[in-house]
Amino acid sequence: MKIEALDIRKYFGPVRANDGITLTVEPGSIHGLLGENGAGKTTLMKILTGFISADGGETRLDGRPVRFASPAESIRHGIGMLHQEPLDFPPLKVLDNLLLAFEDRLIPGRQQVRRVLEELCRRFNFSIDPDARVNTLTVGERQQLEILRLLALGAEVIILDEPTTGISAPQKVLLFATLRRLAKEEGKSVIFVSHKLEEVEELCDRVTVLRQGKVTGHIEAPFRAEQLVQLMFGQSLLRSDRSRVPLGEPALELQDVTVQTYRLTVSHMSLAVRAGEVIGLAGLEGSGQRLMLRACAGLQRPSSGRVRLQGDDFTRRSYRDFLAAGVAYLPAGRIEEGLIRGLTLTEHYVLTQRGHQPLFIDWVGAAEGMQHKIAEFNIRGQSGTPVEALSGGNQQRALLSLLPPVLKVLAMEHPTRGLDIESAMWVWEQLLERRKSGTAILFISADLDELMEHSDRIIVFSGGVMASPIDAAATSIEELGYLIGGVRDNS
Amino acid sequence: MRKRLFRLLILAVLALTLLPAAAIAAPPVQEGGTVYTIQKDDWLSKLADKEYGDPLAYPAIVYYNNLKAAEDSAFTKIEDPEFIEVGWTVYMPTAEEATAFLAGEVTGALTFGIVMVGPFNDHGWSEAHYTAGQYVETNVPGARMIWLDKLNVGDRPETTLEQVVDDMVAQGAQFILTTSDDFQTDTDTVAAKYPDVPFLMISGDHAWTGVAPPNVANYMGRMEYGKMIAGCAAALKTETGVMGYLGPLINDETRRLANSVYLGARYCYENYRGGNPDDLQFIVQWIGFWFNIPGVTLDPTEVANDIFNAGADVILSGIDTTEAIVVAGQRAEQGETVWAIPYDYEGACAEAPDICLGVPYFNWGPAYVNYVQKVQAGTFEQEWIWAGPDWTDINNRDTTAVGFIKGDGMTAEEAVQLDAFIAGLADGSINLFVGPLNYQDGSVYLADGEVATDEQVWYTKQLLEGMTGPSE
Amino acid sequence: MLQRLSNLTLGLVPVVLALLFTTVILIIVGAPPGEAYRNILQGALESPDKWASVVTAMVPLLLCSAGLLVTFAAGLWNIGVEGQIVAGALLATWLALNLTLPPILFIPLLLVAGLIGGALWGLLAGLLRVYGGVHEIFGGVGLNFIAIVLTNYLIFGPWKPADGATMSGTDPFPPAAWLPRLGDLPVYPTAVVLALAAVALMYFALRGTTWGLKLKAIGKNQRSAFLMGIPTSRYMLGAFLVCGALAGLAGSIQAIGVRQRLIPGVSGGYGFLALLVVLLAGYRPLWVIPIALFFAAVGVGSPRLELSMQLDSALGGTLEGIIVLFVLLAQGVKRKA
Repeated sequence: MKIEALDIRKYFGPVRANDGITLTVEPGSIHGLLGENGAGKTTLMKILTGFISADGGETRLDGRPVRFASPAESIRHGIGMLHQEPLDFPPLKVLDNLLLAFEDRLIPGRQQVRRVLEELCRRFNFSIDPDARVNTLTVGERQQLEILRLLALGAEVIILDEPTTGISAPQKVLLFATLRRLAKEEGKSVIFVSHKLEEVEELCDRVTVLRQGKVTGHIEAPFRAEQLVQLMFGQSLLRSDRSRVPLGEPALELQDVTVQTYRLTVSHMSLAVRAGEVIGLAGLEGSGQRLMLRACAGLQRPSSGRVRLQGDDFTRRSYRDFLAAGVAYLPAGRIEEGLIRGLTLTEHYVLTQRGHQPLFIDWVGAAEGMQHKIAEFNIRGQSGTPVEALSGGNQQRALLSLLPPVLKVLAMEHPTRGLDIESAMWVWEQLLERRKSGTAILFISADLDELMEHSDRIIVFSGGVMASPIDAAATSIEELGYLIGGVRDNS
Repeated sequence: MRKRLFRLLILAVLALTLLPAAAIAAPPVQEGGTVYTIQKDDWLSKLADKEYGDPLAYPAIVYYNNLKAAEDSAFTKIEDPEFIEVGWTVYMPTAEEATAFLAGEVTGALTFGIVMVGPFNDHGWSEAHYTAGQYVETNVPGARMIWLDKLNVGDRPETTLEQVVDDMVAQGAQFILTTSDDFQTDTDTVAAKYPDVPFLMISGDHAWTGVAPPNVANYMGRMEYGKMIAGCAAALKTETGVMGYLGPLINDETRRLANSVYLGARYCYENYRGGNPDDLQFIVQWIGFWFNIPGVTLDPTEVANDIFNAGADVILSGIDTTEAIVVAGQRAEQGETVWAIPYDYEGACAEAPDICLGVPYFNWGPAYVNYVQKVQAGTFEQEWIWAGPDWTDINNRDTTAVGFIKGDGMTAEEAVQLDAFIAGLADGSINLFVGPLNYQDGSVYLADGEVATDEQVWYTKQLLEGMTGPSE
Repeated sequence: MLQRLSNLTLGLVPVVLALLFTTVILIIVGAPPGEAYRNILQGALESPDKWASVVTAMVPLLLCSAGLLVTFAAGLWNIGVEGQIVAGALLATWLALNLTLPPILFIPLLLVAGLIGGALWGLLAGLLRVYGGVHEIFGGVGLNFIAIVLTNYLIFGPWKPADGATMSGTDPFPPAAWLPRLGDLPVYPTAVVLALAAVALMYFALRGTTWGLKLKAIGKNQRSAFLMGIPTSRYMLGAFLVCGALAGLAGSIQAIGVRQRLIPGVSGGYGFLALLVVLLAGYRPLWVIPIALFFAAVGVGSPRLELSMQLDSALGGTLEGIIVLFVLLAQGVKRKA
């Protein structure tokens, strides 16, 4: 089935997630969709599969315009999507999961489903036990199950969103073989969404690269890695003149820190961040940078090693001790983790006042205090505005305005993600201003320009390994792109 | 349709009884009403509507007709206003009489309230009271019952006795009957609040001990006799020599009743079966309350099964409800030879007639009629009455306080022996509460030759020696 | 103004729907609906005694609702409120049965005992939630059960009356431990004052104190609140403590006032009913008062249905439940629209 997207547009407030995207996927081909986090890949796929509806543009299947109100409707038209998080029902058996797939059809008997499953497994060399419980399967096997489910539902177009995350090397080989077979032998259309250059190079016939909601290029195989990197990350901007501030004593030290979660272990991190220094943390999402950042803020307790703040050992201290010592953490989800939906700016102001808080709230005083902040930080909103009514940029401004005046360490995830240019520049002005009073800044970003422009040093994370910091002045955006994309640097 | 209309009518009557009692005067009963023969498709409210222009006036017909019927057998007594038959001759009062009646100006119209601890249709304790209330309604002209059942912490955790009595008094009740041991303390409190309303508290002793306010009387039937007869019946039947007693909670009353069963069983086992009474095994199991409250009491069905599993072939119920005979019936259906003796309600054998040896029951009706008439006559006074059976006929529903109906499970021969036992109790030749009797712990209950006083029987402190089961 | 009006209609529509629904049920069971409603009303309001009973039934509703406002503000479903009532009653009973003091000391002591007993039981649910990872609904259900079993054990065991254990509870407390009535009326002025004060206190605490604001912040977004530096665990425990204390006070009042002894089921289902009150009030403290009044009136008026119409008095509870369902439904529909 040929699938066409014509001038697809989707805006979230000021954020142009999809800004006129056009692409065509031919039947029998594997089409790569490449782009950094936040480039608009997932939004586009959600539109194609009916999870969300576009603000503009058109989708065509074999030349006929279609519009899906729900994922169920899109699968009926033959478009199936394999999500990053499998949509199966873990406590159930494999067979029952497949049975559920047929829920709105005439329910076939278990035996019939079992035959279908066994037949499909033979065809694709999968070995899934129909009677195993899904939560005993590996991620790779669950993926296989999901593919079978989509095929059983009659999918002609199969979309895979970052399918290689978390599966083993042999399973990846099998997955790729399966996808090739689906395209070449069965004539399906496969859309392979990824930000891993080498996988796209290996697998795809054609690639569409997205950047900041726009298509930056369509390329046929064979690909040149440099070309893809350039399309993904753009040309390096002119480096603005950075006012260097003199660096002070180490504000934060990690000494051979290991952080373990059930998903990922990041081992042996050592780093000293000096007062006034800006450290950029780069890497594909889930590579370990967030764990490191959270360890720096006392939100993730290290399993070994030491965390020191201004020389004092804070390894076993609570987050509130970190706060009291002048550490602040601004999460990526501004409205999910930073602000409190349903409360007004003034209420946030009251909540974030440090030091002694009187029992009874002086609402008039608090509203005045917030009004000052609103003026100072140029927030478009009133003191009585509930925070969820603010735009993303104004939410970030509000968060910054609520930070205590003096900070030793500021840890941020994606300081400008989703912000318009003006807000982004303003945010960095504010941040860089804080360096003068000796605040050390650590930030995660997927925006290479941002990393290059504002960091003193950049640390690249890859698969749970923290690389040695590199001096931002001594690297190029291309090199950084290679490091992040996992392409071996041959030079 | 008729039933709904009837409810509406009852409602209206109750509303009318809200009128202050002070307005009551006694107009003479006039002659001059009409005689009417019931036709097809007649019902009382229709007649009332035709005659007096008010369907709600039908109770007046019932009242005056029943007065007439009492003195003139040509008229048919209306026992249930919902039920009349073609061909009955009824007396229709004059319009003046009907109006006076409806205005509450007739002496003798009396509303009484019955508060029950269990469901009114439990085929047990509470239903016996409900039936007695109906008996009063048919036997005392002008008497009307209002009632509330299931007043216990399981069914109505929010409702207090005080609220119920408030409600009943507001509905015109002039006499309140509280029919459970559980209501004793609260009855005292509420009676103090309504000093002008007489209260009859069933099974209590506060009128005897002087704790209760003066407007409270106590009444109880001497169920010891019924229980002794039940025990005798069980002893006549048992093959295994093991019998079980499904007891409610443990107090003076329940202990003395369990003891009575045991004494009756021993006597008959020895005298009619020729056995050694010490060979009898008598298991007492208490569930914790008068009836099952899931999660609070033991489940009587399970306990009944336990009793049979322990080897008993006769089970005697001491609780308000019918689980004992139900379980026995189920076991009998599966081929076991087991028997049951239910309790409280004369119709209780109906659950499993074939294996029912009989039922000791309370017949509260005559006493209730007596008290209602005393209230009407203004002669109600504090007293503590412990009434025995009418020994001339313990099953005479118009006279006896307790009775025993033999069940289908008894053979003719056994029935003869049981009758002999009853006759012995009646003429005093058999008295089982005579020493020497020891309590369970070996202490002396009655010395050799000592005849128990009422007080000794009423306040029984332990189960008797030879019985198995906790005394407290 | 228009907004206000539409909010009002939105509030009324479900109530009207619920009445219609109940009316249909009544017609189906063959009872005249008008009579039924009139009976409930009359049963609740016809005499000073009835008014007094309604106010007395309001007391535990108000106290529990005031407490639940706090836990709901913190985003907690304190189902355990029922057990917290019982715990308060238990502690009060223990003292009432074992001490002899003049009323002026005895009664305040017993009320405080209720506060403490309930608070401890609430704290237990909180500890399970915060440190044990047991969701408060499951913890609450478990603790409710334990409280009931404990009560029954005590009534049938250590605290049974001299003349035998019975479901009707312990022996009455000594009169010095009885909460004084207003003359002959079954209403307890101290309890009423305490209950209204509790609602007022929570109204101001949730509106005007940093404590209340922090609870609200936790309730709306625990993660953000934590990152802001609010000690979420401590505040959640505090919420359980406060709610438990108020529920325990209600339990103490039930024991030393309404029943003058400990009975099984001393909580009378008021905790669960209070959950409905607060849900119906949309977590707004001032609305709690009229709604509690309505629920109390229906509760007191319903037995009349049986007395005069032989209808099961559960109808009153059904009406309450249906109204709550319709209100929640209306809110759901509004959110979806």
